[in-house]
Amino acid sequence: MLLKLSTTKENMLVMNKVLTICTAFLTVASVSVISSCSNNRSTGIEFARNMYDPIAYNPDQPNKNFKDGKTAQTPPAGTTPVGFEKIDEFPNTPEGYQAASTGLTNPLPVTVPTLEQGKTLYLNMCSHCHGNEGKGDGSIVKMGKFPAPPSYSAGNSSRGGSMKDLTDGKIYHTITYGVNLMGPHKYQLTPEQRWKIVMYVHELQKLQ
Amino acid sequence: MRSISLFFRSVTKSLLLVSFLTAAVSSANAQDAAAGAAIFKQKCTACHAIGKVVVGPDLKGINDRRSEEWLLKWIKNAPALIASGDPDAKEAEKFSPAMMSAFPELTDDDIKGILAYVKAEETKPAAAAAGTEAGAAAEGGSGEISNFMIFGLIAVIIIAFIVIVVLNRVIRTLERVMLEKQGVVVEDEDAVSGDRLAGLKQLSKNKKFILFIVLLVVIALGSAGWMGMWETGVHTGYQPVQPIKFSHQLHAGLNKIDCQYCHTGAFTSKNASIPSLNVCMNCHNYVTASDKYDGKTSPEIQKIYHALDYNETTKQYGKNTKPVEWIRIHNLPDLAYFNHSQHVAVAGIECQKCHGPIQTMEEVYQYSPLTMKWCVNCHKETEVNHKDNPYYDRLIAAHDKLKKGEKVTAAVLGGLECSKCHY
Repeated sequence: MLLKLSTTKENMLVMNKVLTICTAFLTVASVSVISSCSNNRSTGIEFARNMYDPIAYNPDQPNKNFKDGKTAQTPPAGTTPVGFEKIDEFPNTPEGYQAASTGLTNPLPVTVPTLEQGKTLYLNMCSHCHGNEGKGDGSIVKMGKFPAPPSYSAGNSSRGGSMKDLTDGKIYHTITYGVNLMGPHKYQLTPEQRWKIVMYVHELQKLQ
Repeated sequence: MRSISLFFRSVTKSLLLVSFLTAAVSSANAQDAAAGAAIFKQKCTACHAIGKVVVGPDLKGINDRRSEEWLLKWIKNAPALIASGDPDAKEAEKFSPAMMSAFPELTDDDIKGILAYVKAEETKPAAAAAGTEAGAAAEGGSGEISNFMIFGLIAVIIIAFIVIVVLNRVIRTLERVMLEKQGVVVEDEDAVSGDRLAGLKQLSKNKKFILFIVLLVVIALGSAGWMGMWETGVHTGYQPVQPIKFSHQLHAGLNKIDCQYCHTGAFTSKNASIPSLNVCMNCHNYVTASDKYDGKTSPEIQKIYHALDYNETTKQYGKNTKPVEWIRIHNLPDLAYFNHSQHVAVAGIECQKCHGPIQTMEEVYQYSPLTMKWCVNCHKETEVNHKDNPYYDRLIAAHDKLKKGEKVTAAVLGGLECSKCHY
């Protein structure tokens, strides 16, 4: 036994440093490897989950208090929420379209900053189909993924007349309810934003 | 080009070369179709497609269903034809409440060109449908790796343990054999073997084994401590499976649809807002990706239709709707207030600054840690852009007043606002 012990001790003395360094390194490496493992499908450890969950309902949360289980309810029929426009004044009919043409004018005065904002909104919300200059050659159309809308300056409206003669009310009505393949955009744009776009579209109608 | 073909036709007529004539007529038809294609794309595609109902009816086989004479009248002025009481026109009117527009600017030749184009399109072999399916299949599980790694590690540890125990035994027996050969009488250490406790005692005296156990405990505590301290409540990389496989890479990256188009709320409200399905339908009333799915609507787009109870063939919405339950990825604790419009509209920060390369994400994951340190660091570095912002003008004016030693009353700081006292 003594013999055995002494030989191992000598060996240990030689190997000690290397071994210690190696084991320390291995330990740290495996700690970092293990702690970097995480399942990206789960949120991981959460402390006090109830701090994340709101006491009041968020609009996008399920809600058992309503029959359809949604928090975001549509307003009751015949009501207009605060900050929204009256929707039934110019309905989505050919008559409503014509009525909007005579009954609606842009309430915003034409100024450079408003036009700039209209341009930004137009580029973000409309240009994918209508093109940066309103010629019906947006990026989606060029890729052949969506049919081309008529050009503001040279095309004809499917509801009669040429596009460059469209009035404030007609453009506003079209953004609000859409026409043909264009969907309604009243849910994405506030009335003020729509009027800014109308102002900018008038500029595009003047292009040659 | 058309004039050339007409010239050809007149030449052939005068020469009475019958074979020449037929060739010219067919080339004229091809010319018509080409011109018709341009007009079709310009005037008709807003409502019509070939092989698909859009706003108006499917134009496939229209040349067989209606006479050319009737079509000429209908396309030139549909409202007038309906008003004249034509029975076919009355029937066609019923298709949709959106009435077919009048196109008085089109000549007979133009319309014949369109009809020739429709005929040419419908006889085209449907070869385009195949071929592009590979992209849909190229998806694999990346979430399973971590589970595999955990089980693998456990297995490696167990195997290492067994190997150590076995090697120890082998070494011991070998040593004993050597010592016996040298003539040393070895006391039988395993005298009381069979007793399990004795075996454990033996193990507890084994320095290598103890070291190994200690190392294992250090590794376990170290990684648990690290994860507990740094990753509790930090959801970076969180990538849940969403109910619809919506690809930001396709919509925002390839199609370059602006963030604002769908996430309108980011510019005007606290919430960036998950778009409601009517926003999807602005494009997906037409786009069905059927070229990638053998002419059928993509199953993911069908999920939209299903949730809306939308009938693809009749284009009607039903009443049996159910919301799509998207899973929230970015979740700030309720104790922290964050307003998107403040950051996007006022500060003008790009979406990518916090959400990472969202336009390249096939599946969205949380890019930023959303920790307090992360917020605070950015707030420390970001310079305020006070140009054209009346709020800061007033702020600077108030400070100037203070500098001049003028009296600043509570009223100046908004102390007379109604809501200061009445709320």
